[in-house]
Amino acid sequence: MSLKAKLLLLVALSIAGSVAAVTWLIETRTHQTFREIEQDRTAVLVHQFQRELDREGQEITRGVDTIANSDSMLRTVINLHNGADYNSHVDEAAGYATAQRLDFLDLIAPDGAIISSAHWPARFGLKQHWFLESPPPIPQQAFLKHVETPQGNVLALLCVRPLHTYGVNYYLIGGRKLEPVMQGLTLPEGLQFSIYSAPEQGQGEILGAKGSVPSANLMPLIQQAIDRHGEASATIEWGPDLPQEQIVHAIALPGYSDHVPAVMLVANSLGQETALEKRIAKVSLIIAGLGVLFGIIGGGFVAARISRPVKKLAQAATRIGEGDWDVRVEPGSQDEIGKLATAFNRMTLELISQRERLVQSERVAAWRELARRLAHELKNPLFPLQITVENMMRARQNTPQQFDEVFRESTATLLAEITNLKTIVGRFSDFSKMPAPELQEVNLDELIRGVAQLFQSQLTSRPAPIELELRLGDIPPVNGDPVLLRRVVENLVLNAVDAMPKGGKLTFSTELNHKFAVFELSDTGTGLTQEECARLFTPYYTTKQHGTGLGLAIVQSVVSDHGGQISVSSAKNFGTTFHVELPLWEGSREGKSNGLGAGVE
Amino acid sequence: MAGAAQASSRPRYGGTARIVLHDRVSNLDPTAEEDHPAARDRLASLLFETLALVDDQGRLRPGLASSWSLDESKRVWQFHLRLARFHDGSQVTAVDVAASLSRAGIPWKCTPSDRQTVTVEAASPAPHVPETLAMEKFAIVKRQPDGTMLGTGPYKLNEWQPGERALLVENEDHWDGRAYPDAIEVQMGASLRERLLERQLGPYAAAELTLDQLRSLDPASQGVMVSHPADLLVVLFLQADNAVAGKPGKKPVDPRVREALANSLDRATISNALLQRKSAPATGLLPQWLTGYEFLLPNLSDRANARKLAANAGPGAPSAPLALAYDFSDPIAKLVAERIGVDAGQVGITVRAYGDAHVNTKTGQASVTADAVLLRLPLRSLEPAVALAALAGDLGLDPEHSPASLNAARPEELFEVERKMLENFRVIPVAHVSQAVWLNGSTHNWQQLPNGVWGLNQLWVEGARSSVP
Repeated sequence: MSLKAKLLLLVALSIAGSVAAVTWLIETRTHQTFREIEQDRTAVLVHQFQRELDREGQEITRGVDTIANSDSMLRTVINLHNGADYNSHVDEAAGYATAQRLDFLDLIAPDGAIISSAHWPARFGLKQHWFLESPPPIPQQAFLKHVETPQGNVLALLCVRPLHTYGVNYYLIGGRKLEPVMQGLTLPEGLQFSIYSAPEQGQGEILGAKGSVPSANLMPLIQQAIDRHGEASATIEWGPDLPQEQIVHAIALPGYSDHVPAVMLVANSLGQETALEKRIAKVSLIIAGLGVLFGIIGGGFVAARISRPVKKLAQAATRIGEGDWDVRVEPGSQDEIGKLATAFNRMTLELISQRERLVQSERVAAWRELARRLAHELKNPLFPLQITVENMMRARQNTPQQFDEVFRESTATLLAEITNLKTIVGRFSDFSKMPAPELQEVNLDELIRGVAQLFQSQLTSRPAPIELELRLGDIPPVNGDPVLLRRVVENLVLNAVDAMPKGGKLTFSTELNHKFAVFELSDTGTGLTQEECARLFTPYYTTKQHGTGLGLAIVQSVVSDHGGQISVSSAKNFGTTFHVELPLWEGSREGKSNGLGAGVE
Repeated sequence: MAGAAQASSRPRYGGTARIVLHDRVSNLDPTAEEDHPAARDRLASLLFETLALVDDQGRLRPGLASSWSLDESKRVWQFHLRLARFHDGSQVTAVDVAASLSRAGIPWKCTPSDRQTVTVEAASPAPHVPETLAMEKFAIVKRQPDGTMLGTGPYKLNEWQPGERALLVENEDHWDGRAYPDAIEVQMGASLRERLLERQLGPYAAAELTLDQLRSLDPASQGVMVSHPADLLVVLFLQADNAVAGKPGKKPVDPRVREALANSLDRATISNALLQRKSAPATGLLPQWLTGYEFLLPNLSDRANARKLAANAGPGAPSAPLALAYDFSDPIAKLVAERIGVDAGQVGITVRAYGDAHVNTKTGQASVTADAVLLRLPLRSLEPAVALAALAGDLGLDPEHSPASLNAARPEELFEVERKMLENFRVIPVAHVSQAVWLNGSTHNWQQLPNGVWGLNQLWVEGARSSVP
């Protein structure tokens, strides 16, 4: 990824990240604000309901007190105490209940038997024990409790009053349904109010809920409030039918006993909050999009200014890498980029200087090596020359009768050594006068086959025979000088033969590798170390006793002059393979590429 | 019970007696199904007459038949018709009578012997034919081709608004002479709330009262006439134990649950407290005062046994609620049905009581979804055998019960028939309930039979235009 692209990406990410952070902050603050509002609204509604409940309770208490304190009720109770038949009072409660607008009214005997029931006359005679079993005193205030009716349990606000008569207590239990109290509430928009009625026996139900509320979603919350005898809250997702989320507060309402008779449910719609959050998210998305767009445009302009000199620097470095040491970069500005360009130029100059010093030292080293090799090569024939001359001089002086014979032998030796000196000088001369290749179409397979035939009889007839194997790939002709290439192959063969004093196998192989013909020569000889492989093509380097160290240097020079390359791979005691790549003959390369093209088609 | 209202002076002709019926009558045909058959019979008896009549002592008296006789085999009855005319002036003949009786479903063969004699022939000795024919169901009706019905009664139908109002005018040609009032106007379902608050009937000569209305009046001083506890409040399980006879689609209630329900009922509280002693606890279908043997029937009030039975009932029972339908227009039925629910709840049976408009007819019973219905059945005859046969028919029990009761010559036989009718607890008697009528002080000679049937033959109202010559 380019520097410019990186800069643009950084700018875009920075803008998007900033917008996201701001959005998160706004949404968090909005969320907190809505929660505070929701809690305030809930508190107001709960207070309103509690007030209505208190007011209704006071009315009920007043009504029941009025009945309990009436003369007619006193007469009834006295009559009952004096043995009046309960049967004749079965309708007594209905009239009182109507007068005091009570939904429920029971007149109960001291033993708990219902004497008269306004709401369910058929319960005459049944025993009511719940208020007798509770520890005294009987509460003066109204309380929530379920009342049995023919239609089932009804949640009611009840009041109990004892009727004292001659030392015994009759009882009045009166009350009203709770639902009208709920219906009298004024609900702010978005707020829902209902009551979960939890009778001691049987299924509970939700009262006052508008629409179908899936109570299964609320049950865990309700149970939590009942268990705590207090409050619990949760956010409820109503599902596909009622997509709106609500935060629901469940508040347990106390009853006559420990049993929680009802749970108040206040549901606050999160619709407004959700809508606002969606709008914030939408606006943020737009801002982020625009920011990123402007960021890319502005950043692109800035990045272009920053990256252009850097790009020039990179191009200059590339050219230097390719060998163009004359390239320079204009500093352009005084900023860091300009300083970088100046430093680059200074570094380039320093590199050129160092390279020249290196070439100089290499040149000196090469001359030294040449001098050492020359001295070494020339010293070997000079020593026999000196010995032979001294031997002739001693023979002339000490044994003149044998001088002729010594003279003959010595002159022969001298001539041989002088010839040897000429050969050495000739080799150096040849290396220095390496001719330029005369390129032509060369059938490399034929050339290799010819060399192999030449060495065939010589190598197989040795005491330690060397087997030759040809794996020629019928490759197209190469672009080369046949004489020089033959010299290359012969040199490599001789080198391999020297590496296999105990015999072995010499394998010739050719193959086509894209635009090059590849020739490999593998022996099964002693192999080379890594260091030897690295220095093998250095002139005058040899691992042999009598080598000049020029053979492989000449080979490399010839291959290089042909536009090819040579490499060696070897492992100690596992043989050596020379790998030679030569460019194909132009005509054959075109033909081959045409053929390849046709093949592809 | 004899007529309560005593004539304060000599009877007078004329005037209109306005009567309020609590129930609404939609059809005057004595043979048709009717939601309130007792009220319908009260109206119909003024228009249509039976061959024999029953007086306030329960004795047979000649009606349209001036006399009757039984042959030696005790199977063949001959009824000699008196010279009477239908309201269109045509004479009543044996052919008319035989046709009317056959249409009414008389259980015996009925043929005209001559113009004024009708023969009723039974396959076996039939001792209660005249009492049976005294029931309003077998009143003689002449049906015109246009569908109108003609009777021979002391009043003719002048105006008819089903369920609302009927205006009956006196029949000058009645074989027993014309009635005292010029007309009787019957209003059905009219509210008596204001009248009861004022304790004055005002323009009305008489009003039928329900027992809850009766509570607000002092029966001793307000001219209230209360019958013997005659109507039967009874729980009928609609599905018979054999599926073929039962109603399709609903399973019969486990007999153990039925027995448990029968044992759970606190009949004393129902009669004494809820019905304010204007009823008697019922252990049989017929009241004790009529048969004298009701006390021999088992008094089912054993809650411990009821709990055991309910607990031992099959899976699903008694936890599955029993639906009990009652006549929603009858406040007493509602009260008693709710009490049945309360009592059943004490032994672990859940009963859901609800009001329905047509529980009293067999057609209505076929359409309700309830397991059982609470019925209020009138005592149709003061002859126990005939009354039991009529109840068996009203309850839709096995067909053999009706002939068996009609053939019962001795109380022991009748007791056995009734016991069998009750033994599988498909029918659970709850109470025998009285009927009450509130009479204005200006109303005279209002008669009410022990079973609550009105006898208005001698009725007259004050303020009439002339006295009896």
